[in-house]
Parts: sequence; structure tokens; C-alpha cells
Amino acid sequence: MLITWWYLYLAARTFVEQTLRMTSVLQKLITPLASGPPEPPRNKVTVVGVGQVGMACAVSILLRELADELALVDVVEDKLKGEMMDLLHGSLFLKTPKIVADKDYSVTANSRIVVVTAGVRQQEGESRLNLVQRNVNIFKHIVPQIVRYSPDCIIIVVSNPVDVLTYVTWKLSGLPKHRVIGSGTNLDSARFRFLMADKLGIHSSSFNGWILGEHGDTSVPVWSGTNVAGVNLQTLNPNIGTDFDEENWKQTHKMVVDSAYEVIKLKGYTNWAIGLSVADLTESLMRNMNRIHPISTMVKGMYGISDEVYLSLPCVLNNGGVASVINMTLTDDEVAQLQASASTLWDIQRNLRDI
Amino acid sequence: MVAMVRDEERLCETPSVNSFLVQTRVVKYFTHADVMHHNHLSLLTESLFFFYILLVPFSFLRPFLLCCFISFYVHHSVLCLQMSSKDKLISHVMKEEPVGCRNKVTVVGVGMVGMASAISILLKDLCDELALVDVMEDKLKGEAMDLQHGALFLKTHKIVADKDYSVTANSKVVVVTAGARQQEGESRLNLVQRNVNIFKFIIPNIVKYSPNCILLVVSNPVDILTYVAWKLSGFPRHRVIGSGTNLDSARFRHLMGEKFSLHPSSCHGWIIGEHGDSSVAVWSGVNVAGVCLQNLNPKMGADDDCENWKDVHKQVVDGAYEVIKLKGYTSWAIGMSVADLVESILKNLHKVHPVSTLVQGMHGVKDEVFLSIPCVLGNSGLTDVIHMTLKPEEEKQLVKSAETLWGVQKELTL
Repeated sequence: MLITWWYLYLAARTFVEQTLRMTSVLQKLITPLASGPPEPPRNKVTVVGVGQVGMACAVSILLRELADELALVDVVEDKLKGEMMDLLHGSLFLKTPKIVADKDYSVTANSRIVVVTAGVRQQEGESRLNLVQRNVNIFKHIVPQIVRYSPDCIIIVVSNPVDVLTYVTWKLSGLPKHRVIGSGTNLDSARFRFLMADKLGIHSSSFNGWILGEHGDTSVPVWSGTNVAGVNLQTLNPNIGTDFDEENWKQTHKMVVDSAYEVIKLKGYTNWAIGLSVADLTESLMRNMNRIHPISTMVKGMYGISDEVYLSLPCVLNNGGVASVINMTLTDDEVAQLQASASTLWDIQRNLRDI
Repeated sequence: MVAMVRDEERLCETPSVNSFLVQTRVVKYFTHADVMHHNHLSLLTESLFFFYILLVPFSFLRPFLLCCFISFYVHHSVLCLQMSSKDKLISHVMKEEPVGCRNKVTVVGVGMVGMASAISILLKDLCDELALVDVMEDKLKGEAMDLQHGALFLKTHKIVADKDYSVTANSKVVVVTAGARQQEGESRLNLVQRNVNIFKFIIPNIVKYSPNCILLVVSNPVDILTYVAWKLSGFPRHRVIGSGTNLDSARFRHLMGEKFSLHPSSCHGWIIGEHGDSSVAVWSGVNVAGVCLQNLNPKMGADDDCENWKDVHKQVVDGAYEVIKLKGYTSWAIGMSVADLVESILKNLHKVHPVSTLVQGMHGVKDEVFLSIPCVLGNSGLTDVIHMTLKPEEEKQLVKSAETLWGVQKELTL
């Protein structure tokens, strides 16, 4: 009888000890000092769309250590969760401690920068302008939700046709125009600088050249601004960029325009270059750098353009968005090209439904 | 430039004036002066030089000098017409051959894993030249072009790609990601013979062009393929490394970090052995800030552990299969893990990583197999290994993995 009680006592004691031990390794290891709700993120970036472009942007932003929290949103739930897990498995090698993903936009709350890459992609041979109405319908779902959870964010639009969709985003979001930017010709200029610098045997960052206007077939290379170490190339070769140029530098601009189509033909899509370009823009915005980038901004009132269109001009970017626009000295021909692009874009925008 | 020459021609009518102007131009040409500016001040200095010629003492020399100068003038004008913007802008001053690349990395295979490795390596600024190789030419060219278009944002000046392995010459590290990938539910061991045949083509080509490189094998099943690469290449064992359980340990540390709300880099835990279903979690080594967690929870890793740490290890093993089920493949984590290893190698960090190396003679393993143990990586490769104090059951697991691997390896035709 006594023995039974003794064994019962022992069992009870072991049970109590085990329960106390279950006040776990965590509690024995760590003594919290400051308890309270976790601080909201200060440098949060959201990427909408986890296709090839979205993931390239996400990885570039992560590896450049720009954000302290990354949120991913998409409609395809499996792919979204898989991408999030894959990034989380690499979190040992990253300096972004929190990576979240959900179909619901509440995970994007308090973002500073939202990169919108969602949308259908260009098919082989399809021009950017054909994608428009399909992408507008997708944006009608995305943009209001973004603004609802991050009313103070800056939106970077990447989906094509970027100039039209930046206008659409601006209209749908109701944000002031300096906080909605399009990735625009940042990538075209990067390609241009790479191709020109390659011809000269120098690094792309040592070659300065700007491509402005519409991101696409009618972009405008500003030949009068091309220079290396301050040496203006147009002074060395006054025919640069014209059809009379014996060195045929105009071919380089044509290669820039065609390069997207060519990469799509070879591998099905482009992602790495646009991802790096977006990370570059994010860096200027996040770190308040006041750097100049050729990005898509509202150009009504400039260069004689009276329509509300978005075209790429050199803009100063800082943590408020677009701080100012550089007034480039353009030739009459270049201004005419910008105006022609503006009217083409306005023709498309005029016919868009429900924005 | 051409316009300026013609202006000066019109200004000067006498040949001697021309020749004087040519002389100054010749001087400038040979001293690599920059773009010649036509302004009034230079015309004045040029006029002063003109009188210098008239002072040449022996008058019979003057026609001779004039002929020389005229021929220079014609030659120079022709050159001005022919000189491209590049030549006018840039003068090459180095007489020797350029040094070329010092930290070249090659990535074999431009699938998802290969490209994730490439972009991670590029974004960490590890190499000064990157070479990509694959059999699918279109995809290869497209990927190379896409990376080159981002050159403005990167610090790797040269990105080359070709089907032919000659572009990989003089690499310091060659990352091999080529091979068939795991299908949903397929175990790593099933891929073996398919990948061995692919390696029989790749490895000799790599060795031919980069005989002193370090091979980093990523393709699955990584332990067996590292053995295959070692045999086919004939390299010493310190230059053939498998990415091994570097990724498994990273996954483990991430899950540990989530449990404790800490960053993974502050949570230490090592997973060794086979990269796959039978990896070994060394519970005695799991610690945070030197506090050994097994001392706090002696049942850690056992079946009756109330905190169920064994499940954490299971999540690590299943992690890959789960990601494959959700998105079709894994890429980002392995890419970052590879970049981490390449960084230790190229920067000679002597950092300890759990990577796949020859373990014959260690921990009771008798066969010639490659398993992951903590190793020191530097620019010579895998120079040292760490002797972990393993429990008998952990050693038994290693020996068992070794036997399984040897069972597969001895059937292979190399």
C-alpha cells in the first residue's frame, strides 16, 4: 500500500519536473529585457508579383542589403510560398531578417517602397503596347490594396508598358505624382552605357549617356550628352547618332531597343538586368541619395507636352520620391520625338476603361 | 576634327605656313595631346613656331624639311579622316600584354541553380570575370546578354559565355551545377547514372582549360558526384569540394533562429554526413553564444524530447522536397550557399563550412566516399578538416551513409 503511494509520488514528481523542464530551453537561454510589441519595420520593401522579374528584383534587393523586411505578394499561392521558403532557407547569408509572403495584402503594411512587377509578360514579337488593357485590369485589383496598407509608400512600376501603367497606377492610387515612378528607361540607359562602353573598352559607369522618353521602340538617345571623362563625344564626331555617321553609332541605340526582344527570343524572358536596375532605384530611394536616374515621371508642362503622360526624364531621387527633374538641353528633333511619344501614349490612355 | 583641319587649310595659303602648322600637329600627335582645339591663342603660338623654321641656318635644308613636313601633314590629315572617335578619345599607353583576370569564376550549367549562383556571386562582387557554359546555346546566350545588360550595376567587368569550354580558361573556381534535376518525390540517388554521364563530358573539359582550379560540385546527388568529379579530374582531394550540407546547416540555423527569434548567424548548429535523407544533426554542437543547448535540454534530438528538436531536423531534410513541390525547383538558397563558399575560397577566409570531402579513415569510414564534415576553406581549397566529437550512434550513421554511397559508387562506370 505504502509502496503504491510511493510510486505514485515518484511519478507525480517526475511529471512535475518534466513540465518544469518544458519551461523550455528558450526560457533558460534567453532573458527578455525589453518586452512589448515588436517595432514596425523602417525599411520595408514589397514586391508584387513573384515571376522571373519579381524574384530577380527581390534577390537583388536582398543581396544589396537594402531592406529590413521584404514582403512578397502574388495570386499563385503555391509558387508564392515556395519562393518565400527558398529565400528563407538562405536567410543565414542575408541581412534581411524578415521575409513574409501572402496572397492577402495585409502583409505589405507599412512598406516604404512597393515594386509592382505583376502583369502578363511580352510574348515573342509582341510589342509592349499590346499588353495594355490586360495589365490595366490586373492593376485595378492591386493598386488600391497597396495604398490601403501603405499609404505613405513610393510605388515603382515595372510591368510593361511601363509608361502607360505608371499613369494608370497614379490614377488608381491617388498618390501625389512624385511618389509614383516607373522604372522607365533606367534599364535602356544601362544597356546603352554598357554597349557604348564595351565598344570603347571601358566600364559602363565611366561612360555617361542618357536615353529618355518612352521605354520601348521610340526611346530618345541624347547624343549631345554622351561623354567620357567630360570629353563630349559629339564634339569628337559631330555626325554621331545621325544617318551620315560613318561609325554608325546609331546602331548602338538600335541594339538597345532590340536587346529586350533578342533576350526574350533566346531565353524566353528578361529578368537579371531589370532586377539589378530596380535595386539601383530602390537604393537611391531608400538611402536618400539624391542621385539622378532616367525614370518615368509626369511630364505634363515640360517640353511643350500638354497631356498627362509619363515619360522618362533624368530625375533626382531621394527618400521622398522624385525630388526634382533635370532640364536637359534637347535638340528640336529630340523634343519632337518626345512630343510624338507623348501623343501616342495619350491616345492609348484616353481609350482605357475604368480608371 | 575634320572640319577644323579644313578651316586651318583655308587660313594658310603658303606651304611653309602649312608645314609649320603641321609640325605643331605632329608634335601634338606624337605626344598624345588631347583633342586639338582651334582657337586664336593656339594660332598665335603656332605662328611663333613658324618663324623658328625660317631661322634654320642651312637654307638648303629648308626644302627638305618642307617636304618632310608636307608628307607628315598629308599623312596626318588622312589619319584625321580615318581616326575613329575611340582613337581620338583614348590612347593606349601600356606596352605589355594586359594581365587578364585574376579571380575568374566559371559556372557550368545555366539552369535555375546555375543562374542563382551566378547572380549571387556577381552581387557579392567576388570575381573579376565570370564565364558561363552550357549545352543549350540560345538559353546560354540569352542569360549572358541579360547579365551583361546589368553591367552598369555590377563590379564584374567581363561576362563571357560559350558552349565551348575555352571561355573557362584560367578559372580559379569552377561551380558545376549541370545535370538532371530532382523531380517531385524523386530521391537524389536516383539521378546518379544520368549525371555521371554528363560529368564524363564536363570534367575533362574543365580540367583541360583550368588545370589549377578548385572544383565545386553542386549537382545532386552531391556526395557521389563529388567523388565522380574527383576521379574524372585527377585533382588532389583538396581541390574537389562538394556543396554538401552547407545548405542543410543553413536551413537548420534558419529554423533554429525562428524558434528563438534570433538571426540565423547567431544560432550555431552543424548538420554533417550525406546531403539528403540521412544527414546527421550533431546535437551536442548546437549552441547560442557558446551556451550548449543540449546541456539545457539533455533529451535534445531524441524521440522523447518534449520540444521535438528531431522534427526540426526532419523539416531540414524535407525542406527541399517541399520547395520543389511548391515552386518546381529550389534555386535561391543553394545559390546563396554557393556564393558563400566561393567567397571563402576566393578571399582566402579560412572559414569553416560543412562541405563534402573525402572522409576515408575518419569516424570509422573505410570506403572511398565523400561526406560532409566541417572543413576549412581558403584559396588553396579545402586545406583542413575539423574533428568533431561524435556520439557512437552519430558515427554509426555516418558509416551507414558511407556504405550506402559506396554501394552506389561501385556500380558506376567511370
